[in-house]
Amino acid sequence: MNSNKKTLPDKNGFFGDYGGKFVPETLMYALEELESTYKKLKDNPEFKNQFYKDLSEFVGRPSPLYFAERLTKHYGTGSIWLKREDLNHTGAHKINNTIGQILLAKHMGKKRIIAETGAGQHGVATATVAARLGLECHIYMGSEDVQRQSLNVYRIKLLGAQVHAVDSGSATLKDALNEALRDWVTNVDDTYYIIGSVTGPHPYPMIVRDFNSVVGEELINQSKELFNSMPNAIVACVGGGSNAMGAFYPFINIKETRLIGVEAGGEGVETGEHAAPLNDGTPGVLHGALSYLMQDDTGQVKGTKSVSAGLDYPGVGPEHSWLKDSGRAEYVAVSDNAALKAFHEVSEFEGIIPALETAHAFAYLDTLMKEFDKKANIIVNVSGRGDKDINTVAEIDGIKF
Amino acid sequence: MNRLTKTLSDLKDNNKKALVAYLVAGDPDISSTIQLMNLFVESGVDVIEIGVPFTDPIAEGPIIQKAHDRALKNNISLESIFSMVSEFRKHNNETPIVLMGYLNTFIFYKKLIEENKNNAIDSILVVDIPGELNLKDYGIHSPNINTISLISPTTQINRIESIAKNSTGFVYYVTLRGVTGASNLDVNEISNNVEEIKKHASVPTLAGFGIKSVEDAKLLSDCSDGIIIGSSIVQMIEESSKSKEFDRIGNYLTEIKKAIL
Ligand SMILES: Cc1ncc(COP(=O)(O)O)c(C=O)c1O
Repeated sequence: MNSNKKTLPDKNGFFGDYGGKFVPETLMYALEELESTYKKLKDNPEFKNQFYKDLSEFVGRPSPLYFAERLTKHYGTGSIWLKREDLNHTGAHKINNTIGQILLAKHMGKKRIIAETGAGQHGVATATVAARLGLECHIYMGSEDVQRQSLNVYRIKLLGAQVHAVDSGSATLKDALNEALRDWVTNVDDTYYIIGSVTGPHPYPMIVRDFNSVVGEELINQSKELFNSMPNAIVACVGGGSNAMGAFYPFINIKETRLIGVEAGGEGVETGEHAAPLNDGTPGVLHGALSYLMQDDTGQVKGTKSVSAGLDYPGVGPEHSWLKDSGRAEYVAVSDNAALKAFHEVSEFEGIIPALETAHAFAYLDTLMKEFDKKANIIVNVSGRGDKDINTVAEIDGIKF
Repeated sequence: MNRLTKTLSDLKDNNKKALVAYLVAGDPDISSTIQLMNLFVESGVDVIEIGVPFTDPIAEGPIIQKAHDRALKNNISLESIFSMVSEFRKHNNETPIVLMGYLNTFIFYKKLIEENKNNAIDSILVVDIPGELNLKDYGIHSPNINTISLISPTTQINRIESIAKNSTGFVYYVTLRGVTGASNLDVNEISNNVEEIKKHASVPTLAGFGIKSVEDAKLLSDCSDGIIIGSSIVQMIEESSKSKEFDRIGNYLTEIKKAIL
């Protein structure tokens, strides 16, 4: 699989200066238990077979790498290829990780599953895998997100899970995570917490990355097959950073491939009204890990702003902070407006309605494609489909159903 | 000598149990907090624990979360807490003061903590770091501030020793699986675990999280060196935040203190 000589995280869960395990004492044992279970299973052939079998038969992997002909023509420079995570069962990359984590939960004999969700995709993916195993499932979601992602809320309920709207703080993803952690502290003995991104305390950033790395592994083979070289760049949106990390990780030692993460620029990074900690944050501790964080001048976590619920988060996975500081990956931000424009363009050019999160990655092509010539191959990680965002976009466009 | 160390050892010498009372700094406002701290002392409280408000207090139940939010609306920072404590110290130089909060705030104000003007603060409890570690491990050197580590019902026996050794103030035994203010105390489990901790700790072991009634207080003080009360006080502060008449809190604490003697 990966040939990194020095694999990160280190034994304390750090990627360089970032990561760690900053949680209340009650959770320490649960994290140790999770880590030792994962270490025992991750190279176990039976476990791996089950994981890949589920990904193939239930999720429909591998997802295609698809040539975006009209988008390529539109820019007139390099070839644009789309990694179609939107075609996965449940409509986003989030399912890859939940398929893996539910196997861990089952192995650990946990009876109750909890998760946080922003856009609702991770909530849907978690409710889906819990339903398959007949496990009780609770999804925490900020009350603002319950509103703007109402379609996914209903999907989660249809799948037999309970949705808990969280009113505290900013009533978005960060607060849903707080509430999920509180549930876990309370019900730690029988409960498995399926975190939805490469965030949280060690070992979550590692586990979520590893499960989602199936995306990057497929990309290596598909690139060889389709254009007989490694891509010049991979572009992915970054909320917590799981779709980006899954695509980037197998490429870390493939130096000819630029790795580009696109954060939510909200009203514009210069306005301070955004969700782009790697572009405009400083290191701090939130939700169990040290990483770039949006904080004010008294060490409090700042409110965020993004049209996309899945990117509306003041922190970011610690491995991205490490990749930023080490220079291996580049992180940029695009505004709400740029993302909305890309949302429409990609829909019309390619017949693919992307998630608003994904639209951020597409929006950066406006800048990026100028840096390449016709020989280049650029991959956009299409993290999810946009059905869930129809109401939000219609409202912005002034359309009432 | 550090006020906390002295107070706890005096209590022990006299065969008495410690009463620690919690409030959130700046809830409902700074002058009320100072008023409440004085009331605590008058009502027999031995140690004051000041909650440092944070936007994302993951170990707190709804009552204390709301208090953090109220305090943050008043722009309370660690800086304003240090000046508030200096104010309090002008007329009280005996009562130990513990700050309880989340790592991000403490890292952010590293200099302030290292300076600890006039040794106003006696101890810091960081809720979200592993019990074996303390502020030194995060580059904050404050030799006159001692450490309080948490041990919970899920802490494995092989870690109890190193956590207990890391605590220089007292060991804080978290009495339940849950957030502050929950109500699922299991007295048997608590007394067994506290006994185990005492085998390893050179400092006293106090019990907190979920203690509300005088009866809880009595039961838990019987098997520990003292108790910590938080949510039920914060609840009463909320109820009196308009009138600013806090007599009820004084009566409640006096009654608890009597019960645990
Ligand atoms: C389609 C889609 N893309 C991206 C994200 C952002 O998460 P991450 O950065 O972890 O990939 C989400 C989160 O909800 C999502 O639903």
